Amino acid sequence: MTEQKDTKQEIIITGFGGQGIVLAGSILGEAVVLGDHRQSTLVQSYGPEARGGACSAEVVISDKSIHYPYVRHPDILVCMSQSGFEKFIGQLNPEGTLLIDQDLVKPRGIARTFFSIPSTRMAEELGRVMMANIIMLGFFTAITKAVSVDAVRNAVVNSVPKGTEEMNTTAFNKGFDYGLAVLKGREKKATGKAGA
Amino acid sequence: MTNLNIILFLCGWGPHAAYQALQDNASDIPPEIKMVRIPCSGRISKALLFKPFEMGADGVMLIGCEPGSCRYGTGTATAENNVEDTRGILDLLGLGKDRLRLVTFLPDESDALLRFLKDFVSQIKNIGKSPVVPPPKETPIAEIDELIIQTVTKYDVYACQDCGKCTSACPLTLAGKPFSPRAIANIIISGNIEAPSVQNDIWSCLTCGLCYERCPSAVNFSEFIRDIRHILRKRGFDGHKAHGGFFQSLMRTMTSQDLKIKHWEWLPKEIRTDNESKILFFGGCASYLDIFFRNHLGVQTRDILVDSLRLLNFFDIYPAVLEEERCCGHDLLWSGDKENFLRLARLNVDAIHKMDIQEVITACPEGYRTFVHDYPEHGIEVNFKVTHIYELLEREIDKGAVGFKKLNHRLTFQDPCRLSRLENSADLPRKLLNRLHPKAFTEMQDRETGATCCGNCAWIGCDSFSKAMQVKRIRQAHDTYSDLLVTACPKCQIHLRCAMEDPFIGEELNTRMMDLVSVLARTIQWE
Ligand code: SF4
Ligand code: SF4
Ligand code: SF4
Repeated sequence: MTEQKDTKQEIIITGFGGQGIVLAGSILGEAVVLGDHRQSTLVQSYGPEARGGACSAEVVISDKSIHYPYVRHPDILVCMSQSGFEKFIGQLNPEGTLLIDQDLVKPRGIARTFFSIPSTRMAEELGRVMMANIIMLGFFTAITKAVSVDAVRNAVVNSVPKGTEEMNTTAFNKGFDYGLAVLKGREKKATGKAGA
Repeated sequence: MTNLNIILFLCGWGPHAAYQALQDNASDIPPEIKMVRIPCSGRISKALLFKPFEMGADGVMLIGCEPGSCRYGTGTATAENNVEDTRGILDLLGLGKDRLRLVTFLPDESDALLRFLKDFVSQIKNIGKSPVVPPPKETPIAEIDELIIQTVTKYDVYACQDCGKCTSACPLTLAGKPFSPRAIANIIISGNIEAPSVQNDIWSCLTCGLCYERCPSAVNFSEFIRDIRHILRKRGFDGHKAHGGFFQSLMRTMTSQDLKIKHWEWLPKEIRTDNESKILFFGGCASYLDIFFRNHLGVQTRDILVDSLRLLNFFDIYPAVLEEERCCGHDLLWSGDKENFLRLARLNVDAIHKMDIQEVITACPEGYRTFVHDYPEHGIEVNFKVTHIYELLEREIDKGAVGFKKLNHRLTFQDPCRLSRLENSADLPRKLLNRLHPKAFTEMQDRETGATCCGNCAWIGCDSFSKAMQVKRIRQAHDTYSDLLVTACPKCQIHLRCAMEDPFIGEELNTRMMDLVSVLARTIQWE
């Protein structure tokens, strides 16, 4: 067997109970395994979260088998609540990627760049605030490229309640398109062409 | 003798004396030249300068008096402007500006005149025959009653309840014109198409569709009028054309297949297009309009095309453009010339099909309506999708990460009748307007599907009542306390600007106007 280079990525998705944080983590893991045929683990924190407290999902992705499923220094941190942000920001890898919901998280006291999306507001506009997690997942997929887009889209369809597949796919695409737009915007700004 | 056709418009004062001397001396004036004696070079409008080219002329000369020796003072100066504008348009058409010349001669300069005439003929010989083949002349048909009855039936004008809602909605009637759609409908039903009032009024209707909006019997009056115009034209009647029929002439000239049109040669270098693209940007006639109105209105409607392309480039869309793009034919269709409309439509559609295009994007409401609606309705099938640029922009902006800079103006909006009413899409521009950050955006009293039009459609029937309408419309805009009237059609800008040129109240009416795509292109940015 040839030695594979270590492509392990550690991810924390955090928010508050009811946002579908754990579902987002599980869809991500499923996409990695079933869609991209790689390895993945998920650790979810139970407890008072379900009633609205801090809540998080820890996901590890790798090409090799994963021996330790807990995440100590995430490469990617996705924050959908201020308290989640405060709790985990210190652990984020210095080269890591930070994704936030821009209306729910004010990224105070950090010097690093980050990617933001109004996922909750967009979900409201689509008529279902519940879908903010799916929008965020789309955004995550576009920005991080940690997993292939078709894999996540299929996993979304397989994981959401029957009858809501189309709505959730729309939500996912919205988040994904937004992510691509953000990346394009950064690229344009970097070349000094922010306007038309 | 060659087979060239060269027209000489010759001022009857100074230069004619020189020409007469040549005739008296039996000088060898090239036989290709057909001389038309005119009262003053300044009286030869752009429409008259251009008309010979529509009819297949290979060259045209306008010979007047030297500046200062014009019998009427300003003739030569007017002629200079007219010739320069027409030359610009000949260039865009690919005929080349050298086919038209303005020169001046004094009465005693007959030798120089003869030299010039010979030179011009040999120059035209070098350039070659004009590629313009005048569309075949149709012989007027004698019997139209049957056609009229068919049209009345097609639009079910019999369903008219005589309620008068159309007349009370019609902006022409409201501007004080003795004009009533209801009355026109009734007279036509009664079989009296030759009635002088009908003959007149048929060509005045703006085909704006406001009456159709209100009609309880859903009589589609604008399309009914359009079809009646086709019939009348077949019978040999024609309407009062604005600007001497220049634009109809121009469009008919474009029906010649062999023209090497240069529709996009002027495009700024920084705009990226890609002729391999499966997306085509269809620009429309803005370039021609700008040249035509250069001295009178000073409009810059070509900015709409540039800014549209800029916006597409902003989203990394690099569309193809059609170098031989022709007028979509809208104005011919609505001013009664269906045959030549169909010729233009076929040429455009064939050229686009040849490029294997999947989607055509346009910023022109008339072009949009014509492509999506009138081409298929008249049997011209298109195998590509047609998208108004507002749809595309809304879709792209909605993806996110795009915002708009603050705009230091108070806005109001002039609805284009073709998009807002006829295609029922008043929400499209508004979605974009609501994304902007102006000081204010206030709608006019008449808006969306109920908006009044800019005062002219298809370059026919412009009169003092059109002007009265425009004045009313501009005052409505002023009532919103806006300082920028946002438009969505190059022609709205042109016709409204025309009212602002009024020597008496022009200053009061003067309003800054900008097309919506230009407003977007100036403020859009990646966040
Ligand atoms: S289409 Fe417009 S201008 Fe013509 S009759 Fe109707 S309301 Fe009047
Ligand atoms: S609104 Fe319709 S029904 Fe009423 S008079 Fe006009 S055409 Fe006839
Ligand atoms: S409003 Fe002015 S520009 Fe428009 S058709 Fe009439 S005269 Fe021409």
